[in-house]
Amino acid sequence: MSSIDPFVERGPKATALSASAPMRRHQPRLWSGDRFQTGLFLWPTCLFLLVLTLFPFIYSVWLSLHFVRLTALHRKVWAGLDNYASLLTDQMFLAALRNTALLAVSSITVEVVLGFAVAKVFYELASRKWVNGLRSAYLVPMMITPISVGVIANYVFNPQLGVINQLLGAAGGSPVPWFGDPVWARISILLISVWQWTPFVAMLILAGLMSIRKDILEAARVDGARWWHILFRIEIPSVLPIIMLAVILRLIEVLRYFDVIYITTRGGPGDRTMVLTLFTYQQDFQYFQVGTGSAAAVVILILSIIVTTFAVRILRRIENA
Amino acid sequence: MRTTLLKASTALVLCSSPVLAQNTNWDEELGDLAGTTLAISTITDPFIDSMQRTAPNFEQLTGASVQIEGFGYDALHDRQLLGCSQQDGSTDILVMDGIWMGEFVEAGCLEPLEDRIAQNEEQIAWSDFTDTGAAQASWEGQRYCMPIGIYYGLLFYRTDLFEQAGLKVPETFDELKQAADFFTDNPDFPGVYGYAMNNQRGAAAGQQYFEWIFSAGGSPWASNTLGAEDPYADLTPTMNDKTSVDLVQFFKDMTAYGPPGVESYAWDERATGFANGSLAMINDWSVRAQIANDPSTSQIAGKFAAALMPHAEGAQTVSPVGGWVMCLNAHSEQKDAAWDFIRWFASPEVHRQYVLEGGPPSRVSAMQDKEVQAKYPWTVQLDQARQNAWGDVRPRHALTFQMIDVIGTEVNRAIIGEVSPQEAMDSANEQVTQMLRQNGLLAN
Repeated sequence: MSSIDPFVERGPKATALSASAPMRRHQPRLWSGDRFQTGLFLWPTCLFLLVLTLFPFIYSVWLSLHFVRLTALHRKVWAGLDNYASLLTDQMFLAALRNTALLAVSSITVEVVLGFAVAKVFYELASRKWVNGLRSAYLVPMMITPISVGVIANYVFNPQLGVINQLLGAAGGSPVPWFGDPVWARISILLISVWQWTPFVAMLILAGLMSIRKDILEAARVDGARWWHILFRIEIPSVLPIIMLAVILRLIEVLRYFDVIYITTRGGPGDRTMVLTLFTYQQDFQYFQVGTGSAAAVVILILSIIVTTFAVRILRRIENA
Repeated sequence: MRTTLLKASTALVLCSSPVLAQNTNWDEELGDLAGTTLAISTITDPFIDSMQRTAPNFEQLTGASVQIEGFGYDALHDRQLLGCSQQDGSTDILVMDGIWMGEFVEAGCLEPLEDRIAQNEEQIAWSDFTDTGAAQASWEGQRYCMPIGIYYGLLFYRTDLFEQAGLKVPETFDELKQAADFFTDNPDFPGVYGYAMNNQRGAAAGQQYFEWIFSAGGSPWASNTLGAEDPYADLTPTMNDKTSVDLVQFFKDMTAYGPPGVESYAWDERATGFANGSLAMINDWSVRAQIANDPSTSQIAGKFAAALMPHAEGAQTVSPVGGWVMCLNAHSEQKDAAWDFIRWFASPEVHRQYVLEGGPPSRVSAMQDKEVQAKYPWTVQLDQARQNAWGDVRPRHALTFQMIDVIGTEVNRAIIGEVSPQEAMDSANEQVTQMLRQNGLLAN
């Protein structure tokens, strides 16, 4: 602690010091203070949040309380909570809610199971040099932009010209109406999601597996543990927090899953692949019903907060256990 | 040298055009637009190629640069309207679907062309546009756009297959079903399916409903009857009456004669399927005949013909009309230059040139032009279709896009068997009623 710091030294001790050793007292300048400097560094962030986050959110809430079209903003009519009430009875919105939940549960489950298996393979082969290249190649799907994934999927799953049906035909099978059939359309979206995002989950789990101390594994083997003992008693418990982290990140991703469905099925057939983000997009930017669209966006935000808060609590509980 | 060649070619075009064309000397009419870049947004329908082949003539005449950008159907609607709501003038000329007219006018996207057309009335020859095409370019008695890509719905069929089968071209729904059934899974016609409709969820299935409802003997809303003076006087939907429900059942029945996945087919899938020889018949907008007619992409070039769309027993064919109109963006900063392009492009002589390049004939003179008819034989049926068409087969008010999408979702649900046709159309009727009421287009 500096004895000459006028901001720190106050009271009798400071008075005594100044009396015994007369020194020139510096008047604190506004711009040299800690609080000023802290504020200086913080205001761009605050402004950024205010302009790009808080204001749009408040504006969305305000719009959600009106019947209004983007093309006729001057003709707003106060709606109160009517837009929210009509969402609760809107069959398409409810279908979107169900489909989003279904997609989240099914895709994340498959991705975690497959991701663990892939991570385990990479882990066991880690000592081989060529595995590095394979590991990098495996990450390619998650690096492709979702729009491109959608376009590629459109070609791959095309009922007449698509590669998959051509292969099925060559193997003597019947062509599958991938995007035209209610069940197959959901399976198609699930397959695309799993193909794109399993590498992400696998890499996280691989990092978790590699962080397990070797001496623990060796001690287990010396004690006669079989592979399943090591898997269920050491490896899975060790990577559980990482799996939970992957689940949370994927949940957030699924809640805003849009591009692939927009390009491939457009929510169809019927409402079988309609998801919350596509519903909101349609209301806002196809029908230009920004009142309904904003209400849906607010609902998605609230849902996201609830889901992620819940998931983070579980993660903390696992970490503490 | 280049300019001389251009003048010579322009003169050639002018000389080969009908009477109207001889009056305009575009070289003198259009000013020097060097340094000007005109941006046009349009649909990626086959006529975009014809536009791109025609536009360079304007560039050479004026020195301007013309950039034509193509988008898919939904993407174009969203982009144009979103740009407009932000008063974006970066696109000078909007080529839009005529059914979006009410929505775009409400949003203030379009510069009214009434005065500009009045100043060039003779040169533009408005009365030469097909009646229903001209109606697509107007709203509430005001001309906003120029009809440059007017389509009529036609039935296309494989002449070689029909000759081999000894079948007559279907004229009614029942005959269509029988013919489609005949070709499907027929060992004499391996790899051929009978028919494919626009079943895809959303705009595709929704527009299909409107394209067929009048030929089924029905009407989608109360005041929209054939020849009605004000089809928008009473928008009370009648989409769940027996005719509509039977029509949706007909759509569902027809999926039995389509390839796997036909439930998700839209315009392009059907046109491609027809061109690659896997479909014996389709109904489609006339512009897509170019896909089947192009030997470089089609396996059936020269082996197909057109007919009027079939009708229900006891009803008559009402040809659906649709297509694209060229409009001046109200927020453009180069309105005069953009108008120069529009009036040049839509003029009878340039329109004829564009039609010969494969563009959709939107003028009577182009439809009846012998050279056009010889090059594109279906133009003869197109000329018949224009004479029994109804301009408001599809709605054109401010909620059109949403309404068609909602109906298309319900029709598709019935087609895939998720609900019955009656349930689907009850739901569509209810949703449309609610939507119209909420937006003040229908009294509570």
